[in-house]
Formats: sequence, C-alpha cells, structure tokens
Amino acid sequence: MHGKRAQRGFVLIAMSVTMIVLLAVIGLAFDFGRIYIARNEAQVFTDAAAMTAAARLDGTPAGIARARDAVAHLPMRWNLGTQPFTGVTVEFSADGSRWEREPKDPASIVKARVTAPSNNVDIIFLRAAGGPAALTVPARSVAAIDPVRLTQ
Amino acid sequence: MRRGRQSGHAMIELAFSATVMAACLAGTFQFGYSFYIYDQLVSAVGNAGRYAVSRTIRAATPEDLEKGKAAIRNMVVYGDPHPDADAVPVAPDLKPENVLVSYVAGEREGAPSAIDVAIADYNVHAVFGAVTLKGRPAVEFPFVGRYAASESEP
Repeated sequence: MHGKRAQRGFVLIAMSVTMIVLLAVIGLAFDFGRIYIARNEAQVFTDAAAMTAAARLDGTPAGIARARDAVAHLPMRWNLGTQPFTGVTVEFSADGSRWEREPKDPASIVKARVTAPSNNVDIIFLRAAGGPAALTVPARSVAAIDPVRLTQ
Repeated sequence: MRRGRQSGHAMIELAFSATVMAACLAGTFQFGYSFYIYDQLVSAVGNAGRYAVSRTIRAATPEDLEKGKAAIRNMVVYGDPHPDADAVPVAPDLKPENVLVSYVAGEREGAPSAIDVAIADYNVHAVFGAVTLKGRPAVEFPFVGRYAASESEP
C-alpha cells in the first residue's frame, strides 16, 4: 500500500530530473553556439580591418591616421550582426615583432595588426549553473603591405 | 482497479512531461540549426569578401562588371566562383540572388575602394517558422586587386 503510493508520481519525478539535465544541455548548446558565432564574426572583422589598415599605409603619419580612421568606420557588426565592435586596437610594426599604436617612424611600417578584444558574449543559461556572466572572444589579424595581404 | 488508476496517472504524467520535453527539444533544434546556418553564412561571406578584393575587376562593359559580381555571389553560395551545375549551396535554398555585392566608390576612377558582401534576403527554415536574414551577415573588405577598365571577363 505504502509502496504503491510512492510509485504514484514517479514518472513526473523522473521526467523532472531528465528535464533539468535537458535544460542544462540546451543552455550549453545555446551559449556555446553564440560564442562560436561571435568568435567567427570577430575573426572575419579583424581580417577585414587589418587589410583595410594595411591598404591605407603609405609611409606617412597621415597614412597611419587614415588606417586608424578606416578601421573605426568599418560597418561590420557582431553578436548576430547587431552590435558594433568596440575597443578595437590598431597597431603597426616595421618587422612584425614590435608593435606600436603611434609609430615613431611611419616610413618603416609594413604591417598592421587589429585586435577586437571587447566583444563580450552575455552568458544566459550557463550563468545559472555557476558559469561566468560574460565571455570575451577576442580575435586578432595581421596584414602586410606590398601587396596587401593577410599574414596571420 | 487501483492498478488501472495508477497506470492512468502514469500515462497523464508521461503525456504532460513528453509534451514539455518535445517542445524543449524542438526549441533546441530551432536555435541550434539557426545558429549553425548563421555561422556557415558568416564564414561564407568572409571567404567571398577575401576572394572579391584580391581578384581582377574587369570593367570593359557593364556586363563584365555583372559577371564579376556573379562570381563573388557564387563564392558565397557555393564556395566556388564558377561552380558545377550540381554544386550544393552552403545553406539550404541559398541562391546567388540572396547575396548582395556592392562596390564602394574609390578615388581611382572606376576602381572601388572596398567591396561589400552581404546576405540580402534569406530565410532560415527551422522547425517553427523561419528566421529572415536581411543585410547580415555582412563584410566590407578593402579592394586590393587589379582594376582593368578595358578588359572583359572570360
């Protein structure tokens, strides 16, 4: 009698437990899906931005300024194409090892590097399970001049 | 009698739970599939953008310019500027007409300074209805290829 009463509601309990596990998997899929897309969007953006910067370099300080300005005005967006990239850094190098934001010798610059570090994906589901509130998916690309091409 | 009532309870519980679970699974598929297709499109327009800006733009006639844009659209849709007749698109029902290619006017006469590639109007058909993508994903790459004002596309 007691055992039979305990049987009542077993399906509901079992399904509830299954549902919690299922919801966790759904959350994982949802959040990781968005992170993966954001990473891809950021990489395509930095590729385009690095090439854009390299294409403006002409050995003058004005070329450096144009490179920076052109990157700032790129119309590309992230987070499923809804948000502009922020905190984008443009650096320049003469040899590919030492990078400067304000190069002292613009005539020697042959490479531009763009980093998009501030694309923080808001974590929706994994936060409930103790995950972080947001995850940064940085991307970086390097382009060289003559001819303008991506090198990294 | 009591056993019959118990199995009836279990059936009702199962029906209720299975309905909720099926809705969750369908929702997961909806989001997962839409994300997957969107990611494919991000990669496709990125690859097409890189291809577009390094190719030679032949502009002897407006038809030549249009042929060049068609090659870029094919690059988005099939991953190949000149696809075979039986080529499979990167996303279901994606057609070259769903891709917008535009040249951003440059300082050199005729030659663009950049090329924009975007998904213009495409429906991602999932379980419940469709998600329409208009103007995204989109990329803009600087044109670094050769501009041949008097050449024709082969």
